[in-house]
Amino acid sequence: MAGIPQGLASNKKAGLARPGFIKRRDYSSGYLFILPALTTLLVFRFYPIFFAIFKSLYQVSFVGGAREVFVGLQNYASLIRDGTFLNSLKVTLVLNAFINPIQIAISLLLAVLLNSNALSIRIFRTLIMVPLGISLAIASVIWGFALNPHSGLVNSILGLLGIPPQPFLTSSTQALWCVILIATWKGIAYWMIIFLAGLQEIPEHLYEAALIDGANSWQCFWKITLPLLKRVLLFVTVADTTANFLLFVPIFTLTRGGPQMSTNVLMHEAYSRAFVYSDMNSALAIVTVILAILLGIVGLQFKLIRTGE
Amino acid sequence: MTSQIRRILRGIPVYLVLFLSTLFSLLPLLWAFSSSFKPLDSVMSDVTTFRLRAFLPVPFTLEAYSALFKAGFGRSILNTVVVGLSTMVLGILVCSLAAFAFAKINFPLKNVLFVLVLISFMVPFEAIAIPLYLVAERLRILNTMYALVLPGVANGLVIFLFRQFFMGIPNELLEAAFIDGASWVKIYWKIVLPLSKPALVSAGLFLFIFQWESFMWPLIAIHERKLRVIQVALAYLRTQYLTFWNQVFAGVVIGAVVPLLLIFPLQSYYIRAITLTGIKE
Repeated sequence: MAGIPQGLASNKKAGLARPGFIKRRDYSSGYLFILPALTTLLVFRFYPIFFAIFKSLYQVSFVGGAREVFVGLQNYASLIRDGTFLNSLKVTLVLNAFINPIQIAISLLLAVLLNSNALSIRIFRTLIMVPLGISLAIASVIWGFALNPHSGLVNSILGLLGIPPQPFLTSSTQALWCVILIATWKGIAYWMIIFLAGLQEIPEHLYEAALIDGANSWQCFWKITLPLLKRVLLFVTVADTTANFLLFVPIFTLTRGGPQMSTNVLMHEAYSRAFVYSDMNSALAIVTVILAILLGIVGLQFKLIRTGE
Repeated sequence: MTSQIRRILRGIPVYLVLFLSTLFSLLPLLWAFSSSFKPLDSVMSDVTTFRLRAFLPVPFTLEAYSALFKAGFGRSILNTVVVGLSTMVLGILVCSLAAFAFAKINFPLKNVLFVLVLISFMVPFEAIAIPLYLVAERLRILNTMYALVLPGVANGLVIFLFRQFFMGIPNELLEAAFIDGASWVKIYWKIVLPLSKPALVSAGLFLFIFQWESFMWPLIAIHERKLRVIQVALAYLRTQYLTFWNQVFAGVVIGAVVPLLLIFPLQSYYIRAITLTGIKE
């Protein structure tokens, strides 16, 4: 997402950099080359967004045969009074309030520790990166068994440490934390790689100079690493929040929103309304709300970074 | 001497953190891998009270795998491979064509259209999966492989990746061909693509793994059991065979091994695709 302003800038730069190239503007070729990509993007990416907004203003009426009637904002009005929806909004916000800082902190810490070419570090880096190749569905299935209250791996290891068996996914107070654990296990490697790439862009001589001036590694992190990593950090924050706002797989695979709706995030609530309760219009109202919140998060974070500069 | 000792002592917490993170990353996988090669009763007894044997495939048996394939799991693997490869081939073609135009051809509204491409990868696929169901319904492609392949073909990130690469190809090279009377199509096919092998590998890998791992859209778009892809089949396997842990683990191992075998030898290409958006100017 942070690619946008950068992408535009480099595009402009590239256009100026080659004034001699192909003086004739080639309208038809240009459009023909992008036509297949643009058509599929419009049909499968953009059209669904407008379709969701449009259909969220309708409701199926069974008076005189099933048909859709325009109801304006009525679907949204009923969402505000709907306890299940409000709960899923709350669950999603609570999930995100914890999971994003946790994932970002751990992946940044690991990236800093792994930013070295020593052989031992390279081995650790490769091993820690393995979950990158594991899909979230597979991660959920494995962890679902590992967190089994009766004969799961985690309780059996906790038993070694003298900790009594925990209910995990079957408890309404622990289930959301299990979801956080699973998504974090899967997600860390991905964000870590992006941080590592960002760290490698920071010139080595800055640290050398700081060390000569007597700075310790803690000061180096706060005074050099973090400020120079700000753009990457913003990108990861926005992308991670977006991904976690749409978290669905572990919840569908393991809890179906339960126990007692404690893991019923917005995406799962929208899915249930659309495909379990066949209330597509109301589901699309939730999808529209999700898209609006995402837009808000992205906008707010860009604004924060701009005022911070 | 003392400074050396102090340095070693300072390194201990670092290695401790790395060691614990490695355990956290690998132990669940090791457990799943070993359990898939065990008879069911050993899978259970090794974790009921903890034994280190939980992480070793003893006693070794392939019965979970043979039972899994007898239950028709092979079909799901085949479906996913078909979807993944089709998306890869079509996606590379469609995205690189567009990227070539964005990188090398001047035409009106180019920048506006490129912003559309960038916006498309700001909106994650899951966000539009539910309304996409209605679109696919209207196109009458629900419950077909087209529903899985077509939406994955044009990928904003892959277009961006190709464009970055193509912009690095010197214009003189293309100009010379142009003067010799080559068409745009010929320049793209004969000059640009053969020069772009690293980008082709990154894009192909990214598109294949995107499809191999996708879950929510295939769950929504496919009703028929024989058309299920591997991730969805695994989720159903878990609910249906909840007691046959070793079989589910066998499915998990197959589902994990394929991307891992692709990613590890081609690590740098995959990482390039991931980091491109976050870092590149």
